[in-house]
Formats: sequence, C-alpha cells, structure tokens
Amino acid sequence: MAESQSDTHIQEGFLCPVCYKDLRSRSNLIAHFEDFHSEDQDLLTSIKELVGKAKKKILKIDENDLEPFKTEISFQQFNLEYNEPQEPGQNRSHTEFFKNVRRERLDHRTSETNRLIIRLDKLLHIHGSDRKQQEQELVTWLDGTTVSRCPCCAATFNITRRQHHCRLCGSIMCNPCSSFLSHDVAKMIVTTVYTDMNNLSSKTDDNLRLCAHCTNKLESRNQVQMLQGTQPLICQLYNRLQKIKCDLQSSVNLYEKMFDSLKSGEDTFHLQDAQSLRSSIAQQAEVLDVISKQIVAIATESDQPKVLLLQNAIRRATTQYIKEYLLVLPSPTDLDKMRKGRVKTHSQNFEQPNSLHVVKIAVTTGWSPENVNIEQTLPEMSDDPLMQQINIVRNYIHQARLANRYEEVASLEENLKFLKNTYQMKRVNSDFASSS
Amino acid sequence: MNVITAVKAYITKMIEESEPGMKILLMDKETTSIISMVYGQSEIQQKEVFLLERIDSGNNNSNSGLRYLKCLVFLRPTPQNIDLLSKELRNPRYGAYYIYFSNIVAKADVKILAENDEQEVVKDVQELYMDYLAVNPHLFSFGLSTCMANWKTFTLQRSVQGLASVLLSLTKCPIIRYQKFSNLCHELAQKVDELINKESTLFTFGQSSQPLLLILDRRCDPVTPLLNQWTYQAMVHELLTINNNRVNLSKVKGISKELAEVVLSAEQDPFYAKNIYLNFGDIGQNIKELMEHFQEKAKSHQKVESISDMKAFVETYPQFKKLSGNVSKHVTVVGELSSMLSEYELLDVSEIEQEITSQTDHSSHLQSIRKLLNPGGNRKIRDLDAAKLVMLYALRYRSHSSNDIGGLIKMLKKRNVSEYLISSIDSVLKYAGRYAQPSEIFNVVEAVKITKRLFKGLNGVDNVYTQHKPVLNEILDEIVKGRLREDLYPRLGGFTSQQINSRSQDVIVFFIGGVTYEESLTVHVFNKNNPEMRVILGGTTIHNSKSFLEEANETIRANV
Repeated sequence: MAESQSDTHIQEGFLCPVCYKDLRSRSNLIAHFEDFHSEDQDLLTSIKELVGKAKKKILKIDENDLEPFKTEISFQQFNLEYNEPQEPGQNRSHTEFFKNVRRERLDHRTSETNRLIIRLDKLLHIHGSDRKQQEQELVTWLDGTTVSRCPCCAATFNITRRQHHCRLCGSIMCNPCSSFLSHDVAKMIVTTVYTDMNNLSSKTDDNLRLCAHCTNKLESRNQVQMLQGTQPLICQLYNRLQKIKCDLQSSVNLYEKMFDSLKSGEDTFHLQDAQSLRSSIAQQAEVLDVISKQIVAIATESDQPKVLLLQNAIRRATTQYIKEYLLVLPSPTDLDKMRKGRVKTHSQNFEQPNSLHVVKIAVTTGWSPENVNIEQTLPEMSDDPLMQQINIVRNYIHQARLANRYEEVASLEENLKFLKNTYQMKRVNSDFASSS
Repeated sequence: MNVITAVKAYITKMIEESEPGMKILLMDKETTSIISMVYGQSEIQQKEVFLLERIDSGNNNSNSGLRYLKCLVFLRPTPQNIDLLSKELRNPRYGAYYIYFSNIVAKADVKILAENDEQEVVKDVQELYMDYLAVNPHLFSFGLSTCMANWKTFTLQRSVQGLASVLLSLTKCPIIRYQKFSNLCHELAQKVDELINKESTLFTFGQSSQPLLLILDRRCDPVTPLLNQWTYQAMVHELLTINNNRVNLSKVKGISKELAEVVLSAEQDPFYAKNIYLNFGDIGQNIKELMEHFQEKAKSHQKVESISDMKAFVETYPQFKKLSGNVSKHVTVVGELSSMLSEYELLDVSEIEQEITSQTDHSSHLQSIRKLLNPGGNRKIRDLDAAKLVMLYALRYRSHSSNDIGGLIKMLKKRNVSEYLISSIDSVLKYAGRYAQPSEIFNVVEAVKITKRLFKGLNGVDNVYTQHKPVLNEILDEIVKGRLREDLYPRLGGFTSQQINSRSQDVIVFFIGGVTYEESLTVHVFNKNNPEMRVILGGTTIHNSKSFLEEANETIRANV
C-alpha cells in the first residue's frame, strides 16, 4: 500500500533537474546527482541551493504538517521490522548417504538381472527334444531330495504337490508359486526392441517356468523400459505453456521498467512502444489461455480422477496468472496526460543540459539491425555525412521497433537526438559564416 | 527472528530445488497444516505445485500412476510415515521423488527408504526444519490441544522435536532457562539440551550473542486464558475459535456457502494484517472505511458506458473481485462478533473481569458478580462467562478470609449452569494449585505498582477493557533489565558468573500447556517498544477459554 501511495504523490522538491526522476529525499537526490550527473558541476551547486531552500522551508513547517509524513515513515519501519533479512534456516542433506545405500543394493540387483537376461537369451535358443537336459546344462537345477517344503509357501511336497524348477535360477517351488513367461515376451525382453504386444501369439507349451524372484526382477526392468521415451500430450502442452510464461516474464519486466521510466518523466522510452509491448503481452496471454483450455480438454480415462484434477488445476493457475500478473499491468494511456503536464512545467524551469553523451548501443541480447542499402532506400538523400548518419539511425530505430527491442530503441533515440543537435549547430554556424 | 519468513524460505527452497515441471505435494496430516499456515493453494499453484495429496489418505494404492509428475514429499519423520513412504517407493506412482523431512530423521530410516527405492526414483533427501505451525511472525504453536495429560506418552517428545526445529530454522543455539516450580519445564529443558548436545554439528552457528530459550508452565498464569479479549485476532479466537488460521462460521444464521469457513491469514489478507492487534473500536472504524472504499469501487463499476469504461472494468475486475471477497469476509466476522457482544452482554462481563484482575476491592467485586448472576435480573450472559467470572473470583480471593465462593457456586447452580462448568471451577483452582499464588498472577498487590497504575490511569492510557497484563509482561520486563531471578528461573547446569550478567537479545519463550493471543499481543508490543530485543513466543497450542478449561479438566483428571 505504501508503494502505491508513494507512486502517486510525486514530491516536486526532490525531482532531479536533469532526468526528472523523483528521488524522494534530499540525501538520495544528492547521491543520485553525484552518481549520474557529476559532470555538470554548476548544476550541482544549483541543486544544492534548491535543496537548501527546501530545507529551510521544511524546517519552518509546523510539526502538524509533517504528521502524515511521519506516519508514512513509521509505517515503513513497521514493514521493515517484519522483513528484516534473515539467515536461511539450517538444513541437512541425506542424499549422498541415501544414494550410497541404494547403489550398493542396486548394483547387486542389476548384475543379477543381467545374468538372468543372458540366461534367458540362451534358453531361447534351445530347440529339440532334449530341451530339459539342455536347460539343466545351462542352469544347474537344485537337488530335489534335500528340499521337502516349498520355500515360498512352506507347503510340504508330495504326490499331488510336486517340485518344479525355475528355469532361470534352478531353485525349487511348487506349482502355485511359479509363474510362466511366454517365449514371445521373453524375446521381447532380450531384444529390448519395442514390439507391439497385440501381435504376440501365446503358445502355452513354449512357456518358461520361473520362480517369483526372477519374475519380479524381469518385470521391474521391463516396466522401467516401457516408461522411457513416452511423453504424453499433457506434458508437451505444459512445456509450451511454461516456455511462453518464461518469455512473458522478461516482457513484463521490461514493460514495468518502461512504465516507471515514463511515469517519472524520463524520455528514454516511447509511449507507443510501451503500448505495443503491452498489446503483445496481451496477445501472449491469449495464447496461454488457449493452451490451458487445450489441457483441460484432453480426454481422460474415467479411472484417473487425478488427471482431471491436474488439468483443472493447471487451467486455474493459468487464469489466475493472467488475471493477477498480466491484466493488472498499468495502462499507458493515463501516462500520456500525466507526462504532458509534467513536461510543460519542467521545460520552463530547467534548461536542457547542453552536453549529451552518445550512448553506444550495447547489443547484449544478440540483436543487431540489418545493414540496409541506403542508396536504394533513400535515393534523394543529401550528401551531407551527418544527414546520412541521421537517416541510418532512423532506419535502425524502425527495425528495432519492429523487433520489439525497446531498450535498443531508447539508446538509438539518444544517438539520433545528439546527431540532430550537431546538425543544427552546424547549420547555424554555416549560416553565420555565409551571412558574415 | 521471524518464524513465518523461516517457514516460507524453506518451502521456497523445497520447491525450487526440485527441477521445473508439474508437481504434486505429498504430505501427512501435520505437515499439511504447517504449509497451509503460510501458503494458500492458489499461491502454491503458481509455483507449479498443482496437486496436493495426503500420504495417509488410504486411497493411494490405486496403481494409476502419473509418471510425468514430480513428487515433492514433505513429511514428519515418524515410523508410520517411513513405512508408508517405503510402500510408495516400492511401487512408485510418480516419476521422481524429492523427499523432505520436517525434522531430524534417523539414519536407519533413510537406509530403509533407500533399500526400497529399487526403481531409482528418489532424487533428493533432506531435512528442512519446519516442524511447527507459524501463526504470526513472532508466534508458533505445535497444535497439541491437551498437553499435560499426555505428557509422558506423546507431548514431551513432540515438544522437544518442535523446539529443536524452531531453533534450527532460526539458527539459534540458546542457553536454556526454565520455571523452577514445574517438573515439566525441567524435563523439557533437559531433553532439548540433550538433543542439542547430541546434534552439536547441526547446532553450530556463528552467533553474535547468546540467545535465550525460556520454558514456562501455563500454571504460572491461569488467569489470562480465562479473560474475554478485545483485539481482533484474540477476540475472533475467543468467540469464534481460530483453527490453523481458519474460522468456522457455518453456525452463523443465514451464512452463504462460501463464507461457511473463512481463512484469516495476515500473509494473504492486508486488511487482517493491519487490524490483527487493533481493538474492536478501531476495527469498526476501519471496516467502515473498507466498505466505503469498496462502494466507491463498486460505483465506478456500475457506470460502464463507453468502451474505455468497459476496458477499465475488465482490467480492474480481478482486484475488485478479490476486494469484494475480503470485504464480505470481514464484515461477516465483525458483524458476528458485534452481535455476540450485545447478545451476551460481554462489555459488562469484561469490565468486571478486568476489575477483578487488576484492582483490589473484594466487596465491590463480589457485589458486581452477584448482580450479574442474579437469575431475577433477566440478564442474558452466557453460562460460560458466568462460570469464568466465579473462577476468576476464586483464583483471586481463594485465601481471602471472607470470600464467598460457595455462595457464588450456589447461584450458578440456580441458573442451571452445567455440571461440567461448575466442576471446572474446582479444576482450575486445582490446576493453578500451589503454583500460581494470587500475589503473582494478579498484577495488583505491590504498592509501587498501584501508584504506577494510578499514574497511568490519570494519563488516560489504560482502557477499562484492557487493564489486565499477563504474567509474561512482567517476565519480559525482567529479561530486558537483565534481572530475571535465578532462583525462580534457573539455568540447566547452573550459571557461570559471566552468564548471569549477559543479556540475551534474542529470546524464545515457550509455554507448556498452551499460550494465548493476549500474550502474543504482549510480545508484539514489547518487540515494538524494545527495538533492540527480538522475542518469539510459542506454546504447545493456542488457547481460548473453552479449550483452556478442557485442558485444565484433563490435567486434573490425569493427575499430573
């Protein structure tokens, strides 16, 4: 709240006479002036005088008049009390320990699984009538005479409950405790190339009998592989959504910077530019809206209520983002009036500072204007080199504006202003020369 | 020292350290409250956390996994949670797990989890110490409604863990002092000290001064929780009950569905933040201003004539909507409070309460209570308030030669006051027992103080309804002067000569048996008046008079 208040009440006494920035206090103003305009020594003295006058005036002011000012200050202190910087709390990570324990365990497990797969591969190549014998050559079967109970369910083996061997590890279990792996699935596991499940024919006589442990290991490996490399539609849409949000953030930051600058009366940015940036933000907001609608519209299976919840949550979050972060951006239209009023009052009070520094365009973002063939575009151009320069810069500004590079526009504008000034001076000088 | 900032920083860390992507937050019952105290659902959605889930909800075994979701796990390190999480990791429903424990977790438990993570879905395991409810910047609670009765079985252990996490989140390694009369305080102090020594690497901070942890027993001040309150937060809690920042209004007549439960959070509600410590009169004024502001806005919305009006309307509408929700919430709450005030004649009740607590005039106090209790007087005061008045009288004058506690109880019986409330009088007296002597709990006796009070009264500072000062006020005063008595508040292991004189700037005061919002206000005012001091207040729970009576009854029943 304090912020919005401070934004509307510009305190005239603390405006910087060079850039019209509102600095709100005497010390700020002097510091600002020394930082940014230290070259203009005479201006510095004048500002000190000005501040001195203001100080005298303030000292004369009755205590009562300062009351709102004081309460504002105390309110800020109140906020400060709650926002004082605080060391981040202690924390401790167990990730390293966790991963070590897991690695030890998984190394063992992975090598086991790999061994099973190699055996499986060999088992698949066994053909012919002596299959059982060949299988036993490959994997040593446990001696049945020493095992009287099934190790899984602890039931005693007898005539009806017979011993069976796992083809992969050779251990013994009863029939209900074993499971079967069809040849086709086995092939799929071994080759790892994804084949369509529907084409698999199941010939039960070909199945391999496995114990529960081996089945479990093969299955969890299979599951991990199946999940790799598939990205559902919702993820693709969501990624697009996030990318746009990310881009928008920089536009919003830039817009806020432009707005603040315009509001404080600086002419670094153009009002039209702010407007067009704002409308491009609005367009992006619409795109966000459309994508989030698409996310909601993705068909879900009825057994997945959570997916529906997720879709709705994304939609809600996006609309809220648009409402609270994009739509609330201040409109530049009322700025226009404000600015006009300000310019009028200040242009009378202060002379334009006579030395302007040409700011080189710092193209940090990788954008640079194309070189346009000047002869072609402007055939009637004068041969004055200054005039040429001016035209080139004008062209650059045009391009920069098309590319939404408003910061470049600002620095180019400054260049242009300088060039124009120089041109004018030269014209005046030459007029003098000719008249004399 | 700000517990809300601390918790928020942890949550931000939690969310930012997991990589970007759609996230689900898996919590238990307690951690859900911990997070909901500082973040609303819509706020957390802006941070990519779209789904919230309870690990103990029971319907997690449906194997419809969403492997493209990242799962943030935030749990207390309890055996049940380790067990549930192990099951979850064995059959992971989500693609990646970032596990955060709210407190110190045993190595053995981490090992169990690691052994269950066969699909290598866990990316991070950390301890982030937010094992408490951050209520206000200077106020925390553990949400343990009956503390003393379950001391041995549960609450001692929980308090040790909670206090450790408070200290760790604020990076403080304190000296510990406790109230001598209370065994509970001594026990808790010892356990916390043991934990600090055991985890000495965690408790190593570059501290500029030595903070103080002062452990108090609710029985040193049974008066404060019995009083009617007049500041916004305290009043809402006393009359409507605040539970984890939520107020249940469903019993209010003609309440609309969306206002059946409202959230009062100073973090998300600027009006509440502004008025939380103001007294009822000021709130009335402020709510009038809020209404006017709202009506002005509403009026400007009504004249949508041109296209530009329309555009302005659309642009400001979200804020308007938010404002209107806020206005109707506070108008409802304040309206309900004020109707309760007049219906139960709380102004009259409170005036007598305050007089009993801060003035000495036995006969006139007895007179006023009799007048209020008189059944022929057609007064509408609640049985609860009537019984509380008798309790205050009994606490104040139990050793007075001509007291008439018996006579007042008879009057209550004539009013058909419930057996529960009448037996509560006895419970509260026993609860206060030999610990809280009238001379200590009522700030009236010393001659010096009386003159001070008179002086204050002449200045017109004191309000009739806010004369009472909790015992805590006195204790804080002694701390700031460096005069907290060693014999009443000893330090574990005794003092070295140097420590006696050292004054702590950072103080954490903890009440076994619950704290009150009046004490929270006391601390708030104290912090404001002593900018060099930073005091944080905590309790096993935050009491209003109803919950306090329950606790007192339970404690007497369990014979602690």
